[in-house]
Amino acid sequence: MKLISRIALRLSLFLIPLLALWATLFYLMTVDEINDEADDALENYSELIIIRMLAGRELPPLNSGTNNSYSITPIDKEYALSKPHFEYYDAEVYIPEKEETEPARILSTIFIDDDDNYYELKVAIPTFEKDDLIRTILFLIVLLYFILLITIISVTLWVFHRSMRPLYALLQWLDEFTPGRRNAPVPDDTHITEFHKLNMAAQEAANRAEELFEQQKQFIGNASHELQTPLAVLGNRIEWLLDNTELNENQVEELFKMQRSLGHIVRLNKTLLLLTKIENGQFPENSDVDICLIICEQIALYDEIYASRGITSSTHLPETFIVSMNDSLASTLISNLLKNAYIHSAPHTHIEVSLVGHTLKIANDGDTPLDADHIFDRFYQGHKKEGSTGLGLALVKAVCRYYNLSIAYRFEDGKHCFFIDWE
Amino acid sequence: MKLLIIEDEPSLREIMQRALTQERYVVETATNYAEADAKIAAYSYDCILLDIMLPDGNGLQLLQHLKQQRKRENVIIISARDSLDDKVLGLDMGADDYLPKPFHTAELLARIKSVLRRGKSGGEMALILGNVSLEPESSRVRVNDKELPLLKKEFDILLYFMQRPNHLVDKSVLAEAVWGDHADQADNFQFVYAQMKNLRRKLVDAGADIEIKAVYGFGYKLVPPTE
Repeated sequence: MKLISRIALRLSLFLIPLLALWATLFYLMTVDEINDEADDALENYSELIIIRMLAGRELPPLNSGTNNSYSITPIDKEYALSKPHFEYYDAEVYIPEKEETEPARILSTIFIDDDDNYYELKVAIPTFEKDDLIRTILFLIVLLYFILLITIISVTLWVFHRSMRPLYALLQWLDEFTPGRRNAPVPDDTHITEFHKLNMAAQEAANRAEELFEQQKQFIGNASHELQTPLAVLGNRIEWLLDNTELNENQVEELFKMQRSLGHIVRLNKTLLLLTKIENGQFPENSDVDICLIICEQIALYDEIYASRGITSSTHLPETFIVSMNDSLASTLISNLLKNAYIHSAPHTHIEVSLVGHTLKIANDGDTPLDADHIFDRFYQGHKKEGSTGLGLALVKAVCRYYNLSIAYRFEDGKHCFFIDWE
Repeated sequence: MKLLIIEDEPSLREIMQRALTQERYVVETATNYAEADAKIAAYSYDCILLDIMLPDGNGLQLLQHLKQQRKRENVIIISARDSLDDKVLGLDMGADDYLPKPFHTAELLARIKSVLRRGKSGGEMALILGNVSLEPESSRVRVNDKELPLLKKEFDILLYFMQRPNHLVDKSVLAEAVWGDHADQADNFQFVYAQMKNLRRKLVDAGADIEIKAVYGFGYKLVPPTE
């Protein structure tokens, strides 16, 4: 979840109870204020009626077009004493002119005339419909909620993006950062202390990563170079023994085995050097190479080498497929992919190579899918094969990375399929 | 024939010297840049084996010195760095060959012979053993002056052995030399055997007096006729 979505969500959630509370308060205060006004009017009205009645003057007409109404009822003393003399309350009142009941505010007053007669005066004025009010307030509150929400969120968004720009610049830089490539320095055009600190920390971490990467690369390169001379010495001593001493069959066999093991180390070493060179970008010269031609030549070689296993191959290739690559890297790429297919194929199986559009597909029969996440790792081997360097697919991956080709492995219809895309 | 080995690693220097002395070359050695520079200035050699990574200088500078002194020594660069740049640079600067470490003794001998032959004959470079002559450049093989048509792999195998007479070669080494890295994980050497069978039959049919012998079933050796 993006930070801004989280902020927006929290703001909207926080606004709901806040506005609900505010709406309740607003409603209560409004009702209170209206009742207060109504009560004042009732008081005046009832005072007027009482004064007129006590003075024996004519009472106001019952129907004066105001919907106000009153009633005077004589009551006995006990009843009068049992009730408070002033009482405000809300009730539904029937209005004869309208022939309907309406909510009204009522004041009941108990008074005595000169003859000690108790009367109860009920004065009613129609007031508002509470349901209506609540509905209106609710509607307005919901409206307000959305308006507020939109306003607050857009302001927040704007402020957020404005103030967080350095953070996003840093994040984008982090996305593009790959150790070993030429990386731009961390963008740091901010005056905000926190972001500046963050940028400094990122730059430091990046420098450290670069340094370690460089050291590691150099270490592998140097170690491999240093190994070359002792390997040459060892190989030559074995050869000297073979050529200059009388050896029986067992001794020759043993020396040959040593030579083969040594050959394995030499290959491993050379491959590591090659990997280092690819990662150092030491293959600048590109030329137009025909991938189809390379495939045909190499398939012929592998068919010959693996003929005893009865592996067959078929190709669906266009006439030519010219790409701009270093020719030895192109050859490394194809050779290792094909070799991989031939080595891991069971006897009497089939290998299929096809190039459609810009996609090369190399497929060989297999039983179980390989671990697609790791097969391109150095020294990752499903099952250890004698003489294998464990670096073949790592080389393929390195070449693909070097040229930004996409490489993928999928297990389709009982076949291990490797795809390379030139785009 | 006088050779100079410029190599700082004592063990490698020793075995190179031993192998070359055995081939009846006169061998001198230099262990560093200064010593090599002095020897080159004072004497002349038929071929110089030059390690370009020396403790006190770069072998490529020695090459420049040679050129400045207008010396016509053959130079074979020996380098632990199997890099195309070094190779191109070295050959551009007048080296005759470039041999990356680690190398087989037989390979070194073959390269030295080839360089010396080229230097002597001025381009014509047939390898001759017994009644067989092989021209690497034009890929032609003659037995008793009669052309012997060979397939590409058969030719490559014959060339490999002609450069290493009397040298016992393991099948896996041969496979790698002829088929390259493609063969390094082959589970058997049937394909070597198949080509070898054809080559040997063709040589016998043409009446060649050299023979590629199978040794103990896991190696081969080219035996030239005894005189």
